[in-house]
Amino acid sequence: MKENVASTIACILLLFLHISLLNGESPPGKPEIVSCLSPEKETFTCWWKLGTDGGLPTNYTVYYKKERENITYECPDYTSGGPNSCYFSKKHTSLWKTYVVWMTATNRLGSSASDPYTVEVIYIVVPHPPMNLTLEVKHPKYRKPYLWIEWQPPTIIDVRSGWLTLQYEIRLKPEKAAEWETHFAGQQTKFQILSLHPGLKYFVQVRCKPDHGNWSQWSPENSIQIPSDFPTDDTTMWIFVAVLSAAVCLITIWAMALKGSSMVTCIFPPVPGPKIKGFDTRLLEKGKSEELLSALGCHDFPPTSDCEDLLVEFLEVDDSEEQQLMPANSKEHPSPGVKPTHLDPDSDSGRGSYDSHSLLSEKCEETQASPHTFHTSGLMEKPETPEANITCPQDFQSIPGEGNIHYFDADESKSSTWPLPQPGQHNPRSPYHSIADMCKLAGGPVGPIATLLDKAGQDALKYSKTMATEEEEEKTVEQEVESFFYPKPKQDTVWLLPQEESPLISVKPLDYVEIHKVNKDGELTLLPKQRENSEQTEMSRAPDSSKEYAKVSRVIDNNILVLMPDPRAQNVALFEESIKESPPSLQQNQSEKDLASFPATSSKCKNQQGGLDYLDPTCFMHSFH
Amino acid sequence: MESKGSSCKAGSLLLLLVSNMLLCKNVASGPICLNGAVSCEKYIKDLFDHAVMQSHYYHVLSTEMFKEFDRRYTQGRELFIKTFNGCHTSSLPTPEDKEQAQQTHSEDLLNLIHSILLSWNDPLYHLVSEVEGMQEAPGAILSRAIEIEDQNRRLIEGMEKIVSQVYPGAKENHVYSVWSGLSSLRMADEEARISAFYNLLHCLRRDSHKIDNFLKILKCRIAYNNNC
Repeated sequence: MKENVASTIACILLLFLHISLLNGESPPGKPEIVSCLSPEKETFTCWWKLGTDGGLPTNYTVYYKKERENITYECPDYTSGGPNSCYFSKKHTSLWKTYVVWMTATNRLGSSASDPYTVEVIYIVVPHPPMNLTLEVKHPKYRKPYLWIEWQPPTIIDVRSGWLTLQYEIRLKPEKAAEWETHFAGQQTKFQILSLHPGLKYFVQVRCKPDHGNWSQWSPENSIQIPSDFPTDDTTMWIFVAVLSAAVCLITIWAMALKGSSMVTCIFPPVPGPKIKGFDTRLLEKGKSEELLSALGCHDFPPTSDCEDLLVEFLEVDDSEEQQLMPANSKEHPSPGVKPTHLDPDSDSGRGSYDSHSLLSEKCEETQASPHTFHTSGLMEKPETPEANITCPQDFQSIPGEGNIHYFDADESKSSTWPLPQPGQHNPRSPYHSIADMCKLAGGPVGPIATLLDKAGQDALKYSKTMATEEEEEKTVEQEVESFFYPKPKQDTVWLLPQEESPLISVKPLDYVEIHKVNKDGELTLLPKQRENSEQTEMSRAPDSSKEYAKVSRVIDNNILVLMPDPRAQNVALFEESIKESPPSLQQNQSEKDLASFPATSSKCKNQQGGLDYLDPTCFMHSFH
Repeated sequence: MESKGSSCKAGSLLLLLVSNMLLCKNVASGPICLNGAVSCEKYIKDLFDHAVMQSHYYHVLSTEMFKEFDRRYTQGRELFIKTFNGCHTSSLPTPEDKEQAQQTHSEDLLNLIHSILLSWNDPLYHLVSEVEGMQEAPGAILSRAIEIEDQNRRLIEGMEKIVSQVYPGAKENHVYSVWSGLSSLRMADEEARISAFYNLLHCLRRDSHKIDNFLKILKCRIAYNNNC
């Protein structure tokens, strides 16, 4: 009987199963707990996902166990968290303890259990978004307007007691922008935005994150319209400033490029060339530099010519003992101790532009072979001034390092400087006086000397030109009068003015040698003063090509520059006219050699040997060509 | 007369008791700096701010160490979770939620924090040496272990300073839990050993969170007058 009942029941059950299977009914599928989250670290909610329900009404039950407790609890609240959820209230939430949550789905045919879900509440905190996001464009009194953003933490989170510490992040974008601009706000609940585009509509969102938790969702958007008078970014102003300064720079560069040369001239004035009045080339050639120099008495020092431009280029000899030959624009007398100083080849200053020492010595070397001589030695005596050792060089060949010519030694602190003009004779003229005058003062036979001197002066003038002052220009050059500097009255140098019997001190117009300019190496470019006679016109026709130079043999008495003619190079040809003793071949050789060895010449000009001081016009010439 | 005297005595005693009770500090709040001295309050604020910074970093380090270990060795496998035995510091009386924490006296809370930190001195020391001895000792875990050991020491110092400032004259706290898991860290069976490490790191992460949480509560309560 019992067996029958059991089997019957089994059959019925199978039948039901069969029927339900035929109907598509089955035990429920395995449910799954999807996630558990806590919004404030005081409660938490778990959500599940159902498997198939098997076509039958299914019961779902959530169970959980707490750490180290063997009690199985059932979910206290299935509704508060929404559908398919289990809500654990504060009472049921224990922190710092592991929860194991699982659920079962049961229907008529069976049940199935989910996998256990382990959860620790402190690690599943995901807060709600912040609340009450407010936007406002503020216009403070003495500041630029800005966008003021303020919000509040979610209500349920306890920040006050320090249970949770929140950090915030905001993001904003203009209405039509594609990307958000995110800013981290730390623990503060307000934020300022300073640079916004005026006239645009902005959207703002905020979210929060607890310490050791996860970020919340972004809050709902809040929008604000920026007024049109909102100040623009400072970058616009800076761009404007940059463009303006770039334009100014470009204009400056352009101006400099255009007028670069004149500006450079302004900043670095060129070395003035010496203008020597009364220069006798013959004297130079003869080698009697002393006499020549003594003849170059300058009675007017400094020069006051109307050629203001040339003044800039005047010779300025800066003595190491600070004596100045010819300050460019000074109208004062030189100090008695003025004397030519050594030429400093490296100096770029406009002063000390020639080294009479070196030049003279070099000239001695160079002209040793030169047959051109000024035979003035017999005519010009060595001045008896104890100080001045200037003599007109007798013979170029006879100008060794320590020949009969005593050159002015600039190192000696002697007063062999430009001679002071006589009282009453001091006119604002160039200190370069006629050589003839100097020779006159030096004394000695006038006639032959005068002739020679005349010729020498002419030749000197051919390639030299004094610094023209107004009065100098007015002064006509005596045809046969050489230009010498006025020596000191006390000097006994014989300088003769052939056509004048008056003392040389008179300011008769004489031939002048004009120093065209002095280059940076201190070499003088002397040009003959323009004359009325044909000879000189010939010479003056090519003033540029014939940069004729006078070689300063020495300086006497503070204001006498003794110049010697340079027999070489272009001067050679001219020399030939007047001095027939010059062998052309030698001159040509010399000229060729000079031209060929221009750099060497220049250096030679500067080289000083034997303490001979003179200027080598050749050097100058070469330097100019 | 004697009755009057005795009643007077009783009255004065009662008065004394009542005044003492009134003067008793509240659990939730009460001025620490008796004079209201600004420098005293500022100092306490600085102490708490500094301690909170350190405890926050302490928890960050332990979280990183745990996650690194889990990623490398256990991958969050159920096996290890099930064999979780709890922590050696669970014997210490700990609030389990916010309400309980807020009802705990500040002094007790401070002592609890101090005890937890003391309880971790030993395990952290051995953790470093055992991690060093592991094959393919991961540098990330080792470096963090070393740093956590330092942090533990620094926090203990900080706690002692705070206690001496907030509760001067309080009895020194020497309560801590003894750790006996060293043998399990040295087990031959690799899975058992990994399980032991997992346990330890899991407990460290949790306890560091407790310390951090309690300190922040105390900070807001004591230094900011419940108005963080």
